[in-house]
Amino acid sequence: MTSSGRLAALSVVVAIGAVAAYVLLLRVAVVRNHPEGYVVAFALATALAALAVARARARRWPAWLALGLSSLLLVAGGWFNFVVAQVPVTPTALRVGERPPDFTLPDATGRPVSLEDYRGKKPVVLVFYRGYW
Amino acid sequence: MSELQGLGAKLSEAERAGVDRDLAVARRYGLVHAGGGPDGQDVPRPATVVLDRDGVVRWFSVSRNFQVRPDPDDVLRAVRAL
Repeated sequence: MTSSGRLAALSVVVAIGAVAAYVLLLRVAVVRNHPEGYVVAFALATALAALAVARARARRWPAWLALGLSSLLLVAGGWFNFVVAQVPVTPTALRVGERPPDFTLPDATGRPVSLEDYRGKKPVVLVFYRGYW
Repeated sequence: MSELQGLGAKLSEAERAGVDRDLAVARRYGLVHAGGGPDGQDVPRPATVVLDRDGVVRWFSVSRNFQVRPDPDDVLRAVRAL
């Protein structure tokens, strides 16, 4: 394989590997806490592919294919992580040392659940999930 | 919705999911991402709050990137410190 071919192959391995690694290693804290890592990997894959294109002599299509794939993932991944996934930071009613607003909500079976029910009895962990109906 | 009801029936007292359909609770907490949903609808900002037995906030985490949830180890540490 030519050096261009090797670089193109490496670029594809890095790009696909980054996707696989992020998905398969989500249980590892350092992976799930740093999604920007996949954007960095896509940038590296793009750089490798650009180098492959620069060095291509006879058979150019593997290098161009690698460049197309890696730059597409870089743009899509960068857009997703730095634009779509961003949540605005605005003031909340949460203050350490204060009680948050009380509430009563139906659970999935329709039974009411209130924060008040737990006061004086048990600690509570509230989790707000991003979701929509 | 029926899937959620089936799941709710399986959840024990230790874990109960409240259905905040119109985001009234999220709004009261200041935890709404206005227009953040895929169709421009309001969605909650992902957040985790630890309250002690008196109902007082001892720890909380509000995400800046919805791919990142608070580390379960951090939540456990906050609960164990109560």
